[in-house]
Amino acid sequence: MRLNVTVNGEPRQAEDVWPGESLLYVLRERLGLPGSKNACEQGECGSCTVYLDGTPVCACLVAAGQAEGREVRTVEGLAEGEALDRVQQSFVDAGAVQCGFCTPGLVVAAHDLLARVPEPTDPEIREALAGNLCRCTGYEKILDAVRLAARR
Amino acid sequence: MTVSPIGREIDRVDGPLKVTGSAPYAADYRPEGLVYAYLVQATVGRGTVRGMDVSRAEAAPGVIAVFTPFHPLPLKSPSGESGENYSALQDTAVRFRGQIIGLVVADTFERARDAAALVSADYTVTPSRTSLADAGPGVPQGLVQKLAPGVSSIDAALASSPVTITTSVSQHAHHHIAMEPHATTAVWVDDQLTVYCGAQSPQRAAATIAARLGVEPAKVRLICRYTGGGFGQRSPVWNEALLCAAAARALRRPVKLVLSREQVFTAIGHRAAVRQTIRLGAEADGRLRALSHDSDGELPAAGGWQMMPGRDTSAVAYRTPNIRIDQRLVTLDTPPTWSMRAPAEAPGMFALETAMDELAVRTGVDPVELRLRNYATEDPVEGHPFSSKYLDECYRVGAERFGWSRRTALPRSQTDGDWLIGMGMASALYPAWRQPASARARFRDDGRVAVASATSDVGTGAFTMLAVVGADELGLPVSSIAAEVGDSALPPGGVGAYGSSVTTSTVPAVQAACRAAVKALVQSAVDNPRSPFAGLAPATVRYRQGRIEANGRSVDFRTLLRTMGVPHVEAVSTSAPDKSASQYKFHCFGAHFCEVRVHRLTGEPRVNRFTSVFDVGRVVNAKAARGQLTGAIIWGIGHALLEADPIEPDGRFAAASMADYLVPVHADTPEIDVHWLDRPDPHISEFGARGLGEIGLVSSAAAIGNAVFNATGIRVHDLPITIDKLL
Ligand code: FES
Ligand code: FES
Repeated sequence: MRLNVTVNGEPRQAEDVWPGESLLYVLRERLGLPGSKNACEQGECGSCTVYLDGTPVCACLVAAGQAEGREVRTVEGLAEGEALDRVQQSFVDAGAVQCGFCTPGLVVAAHDLLARVPEPTDPEIREALAGNLCRCTGYEKILDAVRLAARR
Repeated sequence: MTVSPIGREIDRVDGPLKVTGSAPYAADYRPEGLVYAYLVQATVGRGTVRGMDVSRAEAAPGVIAVFTPFHPLPLKSPSGESGENYSALQDTAVRFRGQIIGLVVADTFERARDAAALVSADYTVTPSRTSLADAGPGVPQGLVQKLAPGVSSIDAALASSPVTITTSVSQHAHHHIAMEPHATTAVWVDDQLTVYCGAQSPQRAAATIAARLGVEPAKVRLICRYTGGGFGQRSPVWNEALLCAAAARALRRPVKLVLSREQVFTAIGHRAAVRQTIRLGAEADGRLRALSHDSDGELPAAGGWQMMPGRDTSAVAYRTPNIRIDQRLVTLDTPPTWSMRAPAEAPGMFALETAMDELAVRTGVDPVELRLRNYATEDPVEGHPFSSKYLDECYRVGAERFGWSRRTALPRSQTDGDWLIGMGMASALYPAWRQPASARARFRDDGRVAVASATSDVGTGAFTMLAVVGADELGLPVSSIAAEVGDSALPPGGVGAYGSSVTTSTVPAVQAACRAAVKALVQSAVDNPRSPFAGLAPATVRYRQGRIEANGRSVDFRTLLRTMGVPHVEAVSTSAPDKSASQYKFHCFGAHFCEVRVHRLTGEPRVNRFTSVFDVGRVVNAKAARGQLTGAIIWGIGHALLEADPIEPDGRFAAASMADYLVPVHADTPEIDVHWLDRPDPHISEFGARGLGEIGLVSSAAAIGNAVFNATGIRVHDLPITIDKLL
């Protein structure tokens, strides 16, 4: 199929898409947006989290065909020009980034949390990010980053 | 005056790229003409592939090639390097379930994967050896023994001790679960290969790839600027990456091979399953007379890392007149094993520190006091003094911060509603290892200094370490340093990111390179006819905070380079440990204090809080250090409570997916108080840093287990500590 999808505000098209391939694959391999990461392809890790029509989803679990005509926002689309989004800046400032492979998914998930709940409690943060695995940081600094972003 | 950044909270220099998704990892490259590969893996535990039917795969849409043992890609046999001891597709033997027996290449990933599912294989099956208990005891590999004069054997020393403890512990296979699955993008241009592939040691990996492909080392460049975690699993080169490079060569086009998460569990090595027995002999006051540590570790027939959990733990930890460490290896038909973060130390210290807790219970001596009574100031076997050891201070500071004095020794004596509360502690140690290392410092005419070393930043903070040390040495802000790692084409002599050795080894090299580059800059300032300092004696010219000064003139290096018409001035330096280092035993130390709660009715164990205090020498970057130590402590939660991949009799891992193999998540994370003493090691280097990437994990599981005992009175010896074992 030919896939029409708006990504980070821009209408994009991809040719010869097999409707069953994942949105993650389309973003990474067809549209040149490798920011969203593939770490499990089974919805376990959250590394591939993107917005689909404003709702965070695991892009590895969304079939390309399901994204037809819809709007996707990825980690590449969060910053305003050169200026990092407050969540991105807070991840850097709090030391919440190590290898960085989980980071794009976590940044999108935290961005969504703060859009819904401007002042989340610690349990709310843990709950909201429970689906995002990180093997490096021990999560402490990620919690700090979200608290910091909430204050900004 | 620029303030030195050493030891301060410095932001990761690679942070902005990573939070915007613009740091390229191995699977993120899309060279022109790229095609995709997918693995076919053996579905029996041991035997021979009699034949394979690839006709349906070859006829499938988009398929370019199908490689099998019957239509192989040529690879040389491994020689010398440890790891897998065979090259994939070169014979029909099946050594373990999950061994690579085919590679399908197609124009898209989905098509390669679909076609791989159409490949079928016929096997002759032979029974697999998969049970460590049934196949053991293993073949002795590393015997360490020291007996006091007149003592005939360790058994005699134990038999004559007033108090003896025997503790047997076991753990299943563990997996690293670096968040980035293994991926390789291989690009040949004429006879020159560039491989994008996560690697902990880019130069060693490039050399291995060249050797296995049978090409000159200079023909292979490996790039791994950004790598989604290492933890040991990226220190060797595995068959998958070799096949990807070989396929790209055979097909004359770039090939990308990304493993699925499930494939990583078997195509890439795991931490060996291991069974250990500790026997302690002590006086009634807890002072040790004898320590015996036996282990049987899994060693796959397909090769792998040798599990030796006693050598760097029980042979080092306590003052004991009689020690015997008997490390045995058991051959099994399992996927390859490999070193995983604190590879031997995490299991070894779990065993020892569990036994020490049992000794504390038996003798009625407080666990901290027991460790102080057995405090070693020198290596108990070799007799070398420790270069720098403040473990006693770690105990003291840790106990104070944690509130250890509030603990009651009697199990089940503290509760919070339906929760039983327990406190436990354990001491940690990890060898400090300085290797010869090299680095390059380059003053550039854009006003920045590039500091490079061919090591790898697998999330450890190596980029930032180079920037911090370079900035400190040159009197410049951290932002003026452009750090480079993760490229085999950097000057030879980069150290691998393993053994917690990068910072220990590379800091002195960076300092030396910066000093040499300053010298070269001064020399060029007096030699170059266009320089305002031309003709001066070098001794009269000085460098200060990025400026060259002499005769009342002061010029910044950017202006100087531009005036001279020189794009850059650089130096490469190598730095190696002093000869005097052989007199010392180098180790990091730490003390963990942990509080758990165990539900009275359901047996659910949860970690409430941790206080961990470390003696790791001088710290380069407090922010990165805290991240590494905290992250490693959390691995102890996995080790103690969650992680296990039992192997079934047919050679199949029982938990080979992210849904089945549990690692700690956000909700498992307790409050963690990480603290370190600021005690530079005077003998390891002028700077005094010892690596700290692994020590946090060592014994954090034992502290949890000891706290669970304090909460419940139940001692769990077979990890992980799960609900069923606490009811
Ligand atoms: S890659 Fe989508 S959840 Fe793991
Ligand atoms: S930073 Fe490496 S997995 Fe989270």
